[in-house]
Amino acid sequence: MATASGGDEFVDKFPDEAAIIKASFLIAFVSLGIGAFFGLIQALHRTNVFRVIDSADYYTVLTGHGVLLAIVFTIFFLCGVFHWAVARSLDRPAESALFSWAWVGLMTTGAVLATVAILGGFVPNLGMSADVLFTFYAPLQAHPIFYIGLAMFIVGTWLAGADWFLSYRAWRQEHPDERIPLQTFMVLTTMIMWYISTLGVAVSVVFFLIPWSLGLIESVNPLLTRTLFWYFGHPIVYFWLMPAYLLWYTVLPKLAGGRLFSDPLARVVFVLFLLLSTPVGIHHQYLDPGIAEGFKFIAMTNTMFLLLPSLLTAFTVVASVEHGARQRGGEGYLRWLGALPWRDPAFTGMALAGAMFAAGGFSGMINAGMNINYLIHNTLWVPGHFHLTVGTAVALTMMAGSYWLVPQVTGRKLYSRPIGLLQVIMWFVGMVFMSNAMHRAGLAGIPRRTAEPQYQNFEFLTPIGSIFELRVQIALGGTLLFLSVVLFLFNILLTSLGEESDRPVDSYLPEPLSGPEGSPRILDNLTMWTGIAAVLVVLAYTLPLAGIIQNGGGLFGGGLPVPATVSAGVDLVLTTVTSAFNTLWGVVA
Amino acid sequence: MPANADSQGDSGQADPPVDSIVGTADDGIVRELGHDDFDPVGTLVLVLIYMAILIGMWVFMYFVEFLGRGLTVVG
Ligand code: HEM
Ligand SMILES: [Cu+2]
Repeated sequence: MATASGGDEFVDKFPDEAAIIKASFLIAFVSLGIGAFFGLIQALHRTNVFRVIDSADYYTVLTGHGVLLAIVFTIFFLCGVFHWAVARSLDRPAESALFSWAWVGLMTTGAVLATVAILGGFVPNLGMSADVLFTFYAPLQAHPIFYIGLAMFIVGTWLAGADWFLSYRAWRQEHPDERIPLQTFMVLTTMIMWYISTLGVAVSVVFFLIPWSLGLIESVNPLLTRTLFWYFGHPIVYFWLMPAYLLWYTVLPKLAGGRLFSDPLARVVFVLFLLLSTPVGIHHQYLDPGIAEGFKFIAMTNTMFLLLPSLLTAFTVVASVEHGARQRGGEGYLRWLGALPWRDPAFTGMALAGAMFAAGGFSGMINAGMNINYLIHNTLWVPGHFHLTVGTAVALTMMAGSYWLVPQVTGRKLYSRPIGLLQVIMWFVGMVFMSNAMHRAGLAGIPRRTAEPQYQNFEFLTPIGSIFELRVQIALGGTLLFLSVVLFLFNILLTSLGEESDRPVDSYLPEPLSGPEGSPRILDNLTMWTGIAAVLVVLAYTLPLAGIIQNGGGLFGGGLPVPATVSAGVDLVLTTVTSAFNTLWGVVA
Repeated sequence: MPANADSQGDSGQADPPVDSIVGTADDGIVRELGHDDFDPVGTLVLVLIYMAILIGMWVFMYFVEFLGRGLTVVG
C-alpha cells in the first residue's frame, strides 16, 4: 500500500489506521449525500416550491435528515479525525487493528439498522417506521430496530474511545514524564465528556425506549425520556464541535501559514468544555412543564459560563491565523486578511465556517435566554441557528478538512482545488440565504418541523420583507447547499480514484508559538477533571430528575406531566438532597 | 505545468506545483515571527467589530420584537 513518496505520508507510516479512517470517512460521506438530498426535499417542500413527496411522509424525511447528518455523518467523520489525530500525535499505531475494525463494524451495523427503520416509514405495509425525529424521545415511538441500532452505534463510539485510551496508556508507559500531545489531549477530554453524557441516553434507550417499543412495558414517563435525551443532547453539540475545534486549533494555523498561538490556552478550553457541557441540557426544556423554574434558571446560568471557552477559542484561533498572515507579509489593522491563502479550499472552508459560527453565536445567545427563548421556541429560527453551528461550523469544517486529510490517508492528490474552493463558497452563500431566512421566518412565527406551514385563513407577518421572499430564499439556499454537497462528493470520489502521488499534500504541522512546557501540569490530570465533571453533573441533575419522576407519576408513569413548582414533592427532593450530600461526602472524604 | 514546479522531491522527481497542493500557503514566509514579536492587534480589531455587531443586533431585536408591536404579553 506504500506510495512512491517513500514513507513520510500518514498512509505509508500507518497503513492500518489509514484504512480505518478511510472506512469511517466513506460512511460519513454516504450519509452526507443521502441526508443532503433529504434536506433539499424539505427545503423545497415546506416552502411549497416543489413537492415530490406526500406531506404525510415529511417526518420520515426529516428524521432521516436529522439522524443521517447530525448523528451518522458527524460522528463517523469525527471518529476518523480522532483516529488520525491520536496516531499522528502519539506517533504510534493503534494497539490492535482488529479492535479498531470492531468499533467501525459495530457503529456501521447500528447506523444501518437505524436507517433501515427510518426508511421503512416510506413503505407502509412493512409495519416498520421510526418517524421520531433525531430527538427520539417519548411520546413518539419508533420500531425497536431503530433504538437497537442507536444503542449499537453508541456502544461502538464507546469502543472507539477505548481504542484511543489504550493507545494513550501504551504511550504513557514509554513516556512517563512527557506532556500529553495536544491533539491526543483534545481527543481524550472530548471522549470523557462523551462517556459522561451518553450515559443518560443509554439509560433512556435501554431501560425505557426499547422495552416500551417491544411492548414489555406499557408506558414511559415522557418528561423523563426528554430530560435524559437533553442531558445528552446538549453535550452532543460539543461532541460535534470538538473535532472542528481540533482542526481549527491544530490545522488551521498551519493552513494560514502560521503557528498555534498558545497550546496551554487550547488545553484550558477543552477542560472547560469537559466541565461545563453536560450540566446545561435543561436549557432545551425552558418550555417543558414539570421542571421547576429554578432549575431552568440554574441551567441558563451554567450556559452563559459556556461563552467563556467559546470566546477564548475565537481569540486563540483568530490570533493564530493572523500570525500566519503577518509572517507572510500581512500589514495593518485589517489589511493582513488579504495575505491569507484564500485560494486554498481547506483554509477558506474552515475560515468561512468559523465566520458562520460567530453569527450562530448571536442566535445561540437568544436561544439560551430563558425569557427571550419563548419568542423563538419551536419556530424555524431554531433550525436557522443550528444550520450555522452544526450545519456549517462543523459540517463545512469537516468538508474543508477532508481536502487536506483525504490526501493523507489515500496518498492521492486532491482532484481539484478550484472545484473545492467553489464548493466551500457555495455552501457559505447557500447558508447565508437559507439560514438568515429561517431566522427571520422564525421571528414571524413560522413553526419548524411541519410540511405545511401555510395555514388557511392565517397570515404570517414580517417586520421587513415578505414571507414570499423568505420562502424563495430558503428554497434557493437549500438548492445551493445540495449542489455544494454534490460537488464535494464528486471531488472526493475522483480524488480517491486518482493516481498515487509523490507529494499529495503538505502535511507538516508546526509547533505552537507557546508550547505546553510553561503551563501547569494539573491541566493534564484527566482523572481529576473527570471527577469534577461528574460532581457538577450530579449537582445539576439530581434534584430536577427527582422532581420529574415525582411529578410524572414515577419512572414509568404514563400520566401527563403537571406544571411543577419548587415545592412540589418537597419530601422526595429533601431525601434526595440528603442522600446526594451523603454520597458526595463519601467521595470527598 | 505552472511556473513554480522547481523544487525537487527526495525521489528526484519534480514536486507538484506548490499552488496545487492543499495546505501550502501561496507565498513563502517572508519573516519569522516568534511569540514575543507578535502582537495580535488585528484579532483585537475583529473581536471589537464582532462585539459591535452583536450589540447592534440586540438593539435591533429589541426594536423589532418589543417596540414595534404592542404589549402582546398583556394584551
Ligand atoms: C443540503 C444541505 C441542507 C439542507 C438543504 C437542509 C435543510 C433543512 C431544513 C429545511 C430543515 C427544517 C425542516 C423543518 O423543520 O421542517 C432542516 C432541519 C434539520 N437539519 Fe438540515 N439542511 C442541510 C444540511 C444539514 C446539515 C449538514 C446538518 C447537520 C450536520 C443538518 C441538520 C439538521 C437537523 C438536525 C435538522 C432538524 C431535524 C428535526 O427537526 O428533527 N442539516 N434542514
Ligand atoms: Cu444546548
